[in-house]
Amino acid sequence: MTHEEFLEKFQDVLQAEDPLGMDTVLEDLDEWDSLARMATVAFLDSDFGVQATFEDFTTMKTVADVARKAGIAS
Amino acid sequence: MTAPAGERLYLVTGASSGIGKGIALRLCGLGARVVAIGRDADRLGELAQECGCPERIHPEIRDLAADIELLPQYVKGLKEKYGKFHGMVSCAGISEIRPLQILKYENGKRIFDINYFAPLMLAKGLLDRRHNVGRGTSLVFIASIEAHLADKGMSFYAGSKAALIASVRSISREVAASGVRVNAISPGDILTPMTAAVEGMRNDRSHLYPLGFGTVDDVAALAVFLLSDEAKWITGQNYILDGGHL
Ligand SMILES: NC(=O)c1ccc[n+]([C@@H]2O[C@H](COP(=O)([O-])OP(=O)(O)OC[C@H]3O[C@@H](n4cnc5c(N)ncnc54)[C@H](OP(=O)(O)O)[C@@H]3O)[C@@H](O)[C@H]2O)c1
Repeated sequence: MTHEEFLEKFQDVLQAEDPLGMDTVLEDLDEWDSLARMATVAFLDSDFGVQATFEDFTTMKTVADVARKAGIAS
Repeated sequence: MTAPAGERLYLVTGASSGIGKGIALRLCGLGARVVAIGRDADRLGELAQECGCPERIHPEIRDLAADIELLPQYVKGLKEKYGKFHGMVSCAGISEIRPLQILKYENGKRIFDINYFAPLMLAKGLLDRRHNVGRGTSLVFIASIEAHLADKGMSFYAGSKAALIASVRSISREVAASGVRVNAISPGDILTPMTAAVEGMRNDRSHLYPLGFGTVDDVAALAVFLLSDEAKWITGQNYILDGGHL
């Protein structure tokens, strides 16, 4: 999956009005609530086979961090 | 009662017949705009004529059992065409009597596709916060009293409606923080083309209904209430509407 494809998919997961950038800080998004975290964990699992937990969000701060967790080369 | 009127936009499935048609007519009569989904173009055309305000009915022909995975994108397209939604009433459905002897997995899949999976994938599209107006958005799913009964031959149908009711509860929790509400109605026997097809229904079952069989208007009245702001503290519920049967 390309960076662009990832950004588009992740925008849909977060139902974000504006396009995301790799440097977008998750906490800065209005949409970043507990349901969005839950959706992100499920997204990593269903689309990338990657197991994540809420604890991981202490280190996953940006969209790029989530992409890295998904195994998308930076 | 505060009617869900004005320039509000609603999606109604199954709008070409029976309960869905009655709800579309009522919403339109209250001044709302309705994206009316069905497969039968002629009958959707009749709906637009009957309502006396054809400019507020937007007919959309779509087989909701096809490409179910793409239904959220379909809703996105409708939002781009007509605007953000204030809610949805999901009525499209099929009913079949299938005793165990002739139960086939294929029948079950067909019933679940239209009665369960399609409504949920439409809800996914509509509950995307980019596609609705936010606070005040309300979704109503037409389930069935069969989900609560023990009638012979209804295993798949009853299962599909019970599944819908269970999912309504789960979804209601997911969207409550945004002020969005999700409820179900479980009607008993309503006189519509669907039940007219079940031969002898009137004679066999009339004794079950102390208040008589229901009408499309009975369901439309409750659906419109649940869509309105009068129901702003109601979510995750399933209303049995059955003239005293249960
Ligand atoms: N009538 C009752 O006694 C009763 C009781 C409890 C619950 N219900 C539920 O209420 C709902 C409406 O029932 P009704 O009696 O009004 O039925 P109806 O008169 O037979 O109408 C069914 C509607 O569903 C639509 N539909 C069916 N399959 C579809 C598909 N694949 N794609 C798109 N639309 C589809 C039909 O559209 P087209 O004709 O245009 O294809 C039609 O508008 C159903 O979910 C039913 O299970 C009915």
